[in-house]
Amino acid sequence: MPSLPAGSWVPSVTPQDILYRGDSCTSQPLPVLPTQLSHFFVDHPEDAFGSLGKLLHQNFYLGDSKLRVSVHSGLPPCSGCPRKNLVPRLRWFSHLARDWLFEVPLGLLADCVHEDLLLQWASLLFDDSPTGGALAWLPPKDVGARTGRLVYPGGQAMNHLCILPHGVALRRGGGGREGVPYFVGVRSDYHCGVWRVPGRTGAAPTPLQVIRTSVPASCLTVSPHLPGELAVCTQSGAVYLWSVETGLQRLRHDPQTMFFRDHSPWRWSDFTAHPRVLSCADRTGLQCLDTRVSPGGCHFDLFKVGEEAGCQQGERVVLPMYLGRAYPSQHLVTTQFSVYVLDERLPLVPVLKWAHMMKAPPLFAHLTPGGPGRSHKVLLGASRTQELLLLQYRGEKRGALGPPCWGSQSACQLVGTPQKLHSVSSCLQHLPAQLPHRHRLLQQRLSAPAAGGCPAPPGGLGVLGRGQDVSWKVLVPEEAECPQEPSANPQPSPAAALRYRRWLKAFSKVCGQPPRHTRPPTFGQKRLFTRKELEEPSAPSALQGQARRWLRQAMRDGGCLQRWDPPPSALPEPPEPAEDPDPLSARLTASWCGDWDGWWEGRMSSSLAQRQRALRERRRRQKRARGRRSLSASFTSSLTYQSELSELSDPDTAPPPRREASPPLGTSPPAAATPPSPEEALLSSQSLRSRGIPKERRKTLRDYLAVWADGPPEPPELPGSQASQLCIPSSQSQLSSASQPRRKRPRMGF
Amino acid sequence: CKKGKWPLSSPVLRREKFFIFVFSGSCLAFVYGMVCLYVCMQIFSTVGSQKSKEVCLSYIQDAMLRKQWKRAAEFLTFYIESLEKDFSTEYMGPSEVIWRIGAEILCHRFHNNMKEFSSFIEQMKTLGVKRYLKVSVCLEHAFHLLCNGQIDEAYQNLSLAESWRFGEQTAIQDKEMKLIQAYRGLLDYYSWSKQKNILLEHDLSVEQEMHGCFRKAAMNLKEIIKIPGVWDLFVKCYVDLLEFYGDYSEAREVLNEYAYNSKFPANPNAHVYLYQFLKRHGESKKSLLSALKILHDIVPSHELMIDFHIMLQKSKKRKKRRLGLEVIFAVLDYAGWKENVKAWSCLARQVKQIKHLDWIKQEWDPRRDWWPAFHFSRYSAKRNWQENESLSYEKALVAGILLGKGCKAQVKRFRILKKFLNKHNPVYLRLSGLSDSSVQP
Repeated sequence: MPSLPAGSWVPSVTPQDILYRGDSCTSQPLPVLPTQLSHFFVDHPEDAFGSLGKLLHQNFYLGDSKLRVSVHSGLPPCSGCPRKNLVPRLRWFSHLARDWLFEVPLGLLADCVHEDLLLQWASLLFDDSPTGGALAWLPPKDVGARTGRLVYPGGQAMNHLCILPHGVALRRGGGGREGVPYFVGVRSDYHCGVWRVPGRTGAAPTPLQVIRTSVPASCLTVSPHLPGELAVCTQSGAVYLWSVETGLQRLRHDPQTMFFRDHSPWRWSDFTAHPRVLSCADRTGLQCLDTRVSPGGCHFDLFKVGEEAGCQQGERVVLPMYLGRAYPSQHLVTTQFSVYVLDERLPLVPVLKWAHMMKAPPLFAHLTPGGPGRSHKVLLGASRTQELLLLQYRGEKRGALGPPCWGSQSACQLVGTPQKLHSVSSCLQHLPAQLPHRHRLLQQRLSAPAAGGCPAPPGGLGVLGRGQDVSWKVLVPEEAECPQEPSANPQPSPAAALRYRRWLKAFSKVCGQPPRHTRPPTFGQKRLFTRKELEEPSAPSALQGQARRWLRQAMRDGGCLQRWDPPPSALPEPPEPAEDPDPLSARLTASWCGDWDGWWEGRMSSSLAQRQRALRERRRRQKRARGRRSLSASFTSSLTYQSELSELSDPDTAPPPRREASPPLGTSPPAAATPPSPEEALLSSQSLRSRGIPKERRKTLRDYLAVWADGPPEPPELPGSQASQLCIPSSQSQLSSASQPRRKRPRMGF
Repeated sequence: CKKGKWPLSSPVLRREKFFIFVFSGSCLAFVYGMVCLYVCMQIFSTVGSQKSKEVCLSYIQDAMLRKQWKRAAEFLTFYIESLEKDFSTEYMGPSEVIWRIGAEILCHRFHNNMKEFSSFIEQMKTLGVKRYLKVSVCLEHAFHLLCNGQIDEAYQNLSLAESWRFGEQTAIQDKEMKLIQAYRGLLDYYSWSKQKNILLEHDLSVEQEMHGCFRKAAMNLKEIIKIPGVWDLFVKCYVDLLEFYGDYSEAREVLNEYAYNSKFPANPNAHVYLYQFLKRHGESKKSLLSALKILHDIVPSHELMIDFHIMLQKSKKRKKRRLGLEVIFAVLDYAGWKENVKAWSCLARQVKQIKHLDWIKQEWDPRRDWWPAFHFSRYSAKRNWQENESLSYEKALVAGILLGKGCKAQVKRFRILKKFLNKHNPVYLRLSGLSDSSVQP
């Protein structure tokens, strides 16, 4: 039975996100436009008509009755374009990144993006992060207690550990593992923690220890033998034995895979029949490591992908598991094709092999040991396809410790046929009929990849979806005598149907609210700067103090605060009568007087003359520039020297090549001597820098301003490269050198 | 069905969607057959034939895993029909698939109706005369017959398969042929042992026939044993045959070869068989111990280690008794032996004999940090006391001596145990005295 947590669900990346550019619907062959538009009007009415309605609704007269606007309409607000919410996010990103994005070399950026896409694609095809499953069942320790506990990650980003008491009627008492408290290992990418959950149901769990890894950890398993011992693997190929009391002990560090080369950094480790021997796995096989000897000392191969086990081409280990609760020396190894049972005592030759034929590789497995003389049940679960497969197997008699392996007593074999269990998404058809959009949401939610599963007594089975729904199934044992075939889709019991409905109610309540992730994300400054950078200067400067004093004075007097720095100017001057009215008013005046035709004629002729004048002017300018360029080339040899000197004297330590790109305009002595005109001040490098405009943009800005400031009769080509050309005759050496960066050659011995 | 890739390619994704779409439509039972027919017609006509076959197979798989045998059978007939229309050259794959699926469905749907099954097999044999079916189908059919007690038919089947000469001969086929011969030898051994029982009831008329069986079985079994592999069953039968006729040297050679040939996988059973053989023939203690020593090196947790320990303790040599202590400590390291009374009593006896306390100390030191939590936790003490009192006594004794005062807290609750422990307390005092003295110099 799914239970809803408070958080809403973050949809995961889909293949379409990577394969198709932009909206997925545009990549499909387009139908005729009218059909498409009509679909759009029907499917997205608020996008089509909403804005117009909003504009006009104040002007509608709807009688004298009160206008009621229902805030919560039946349709969820997210039914518009699915990419809509990405736009503000992108804008925020560009706002954040505009300062530095230009400095990243494009090739490098492209490489990074490509690499990330590859990673995302690989994780779409096969995501090994949920290996091992994220749902555990802790059976009750007290004989009288009837509630065990479910442990699973919750929250929006699966960042909470939920321990949920779950009541079941207990048929078999006892059970469980050694040691009164349970130890629960919790793994995230860079942190592993261990919790101690007391055996009594009421007691609160306590965190014991947390370790941080510099490389993502791929495995954390809890020892079935000794309390407080865990095995940790990282993606760099390190295997540790982690004891809460004594800390970490590194058993191996090998970035290479064990038997042949494989690119996957995934590693796994589990315990074996000997509490001091750990099994260690990568995609190519399993080895057993003895922790009592020095690292790399004593080990033996337990399983190797290859001929001994009859493996196929391309077969890789997906999940190893120690089956100690059924037989002390057996291990389960699943690959994407088969399931193997191995015995430590006869390594390399599987005791049992079975092709599971699942569509996705099984990522979590769970063992329920049967009692003496009964078969053991193994639950295999795939993540993406939500497949669940129940196997039963039987090997040698438990506790008899007969001759090892198989052969003499009874061979390890599957009992009965494996059974496929209904996936979580298959309960969709048992839910009452829904509105189409809600049906789609439901479908999305229920078909989220499974993150874990575990059987729990009696005959129950929990499955955790990525959407943090824990669904609960009850397995009804089938009678062997019953010849009647179970129907294709057995109807749920009335109780289950009721629960479905209750869950649906909770789900629709959550869906009614706008999904959280559609809100534009906010960026806190605190995240961008360190605390130190944000700290205000401890003592206020003299100016601030003065300003405060003035402010206080003004408040006391009840007068108005005036500017203190320059002397207060007089009243603003009235706007001067415009000598030349702007074209619009001239035109209006003309048409008002009925002389519009004349105005038009004059305008045409004047504009023609203007254009001709402008063209002539430009040609002349170009000619002049050409002449100067040839001149400047002859100057450079003598000029570079001085420019380099000034560079050296410049206390700002910027790398020389970049200095070439942006000349230190403001630092030149003549420029400093005469106060720059407003435009020059605007365009000077320092002022640009102080405004946070990146170097690459400064030139663009100058060019732009040059065009914009074309009108005034002052030297129009002041900014940019042309400005520097103008300046050359007046021997402003730095400017000229900066305008000719290519001429600069490195000089030996300088 | 096995055509997966790593990592999974995207066509799988697409197939799933299709799958779900089709399945949600076919809920009602009475329109069921029609829907199946419709679906199959649809998929066979619209989608490419390869694709449709894949989809069909996935339906069959789904039906079988949900134990809907009738539905699976219907889909299988569609699958076969689609194959008949398809004139592609790829013939071997589908025939294996049909064989496997068909056999599984028949076994469950008709509850092992042998007649149905035999007719299916005959059809299969005519369907695919290519190399796969010739060998494997026969072997699997023979297993099926054996499971249903039809040993003579199985034997006939195997002989038929052996005489079959069709298609090209490959290396794999050669191996499979060896396997068929070996299983035939096994059946010969079976009839031989039956006749042996008759013979032992003083009916000498079967002797001739029995000898014939022996020769056939020995010849076939001998062949397979030469190939490196795990052949426990065949080796045991072959040795039994040889022993009956008194050919001990040959039997010993076979067992030695099986145990010590480095080409064979390290198989603890080989050493067990050798040890049992040596023991049966009253071999010297030295050879028995050497066989067990190797077994100890391979599998320290083997059940024969108790025997090994007892034998070593009886020895007069210091070195061997030292090894005996090592063996019993190593056995108790393993989770499977945690609650074995015999092992604990062996260790308790060792610890009680206060002869070599330094040995005990040497064994105990590397285990000092984890044995208390592994064996002597409060929880396990409580459970042992509830489930098996004698085990509790033995463990308490060992714990009392090895842990000293730390142990007393663990058994505080059980008054009887406490009394029992106090009786043996002097041993602990000596052990602790020894450890003190070892620190002092």
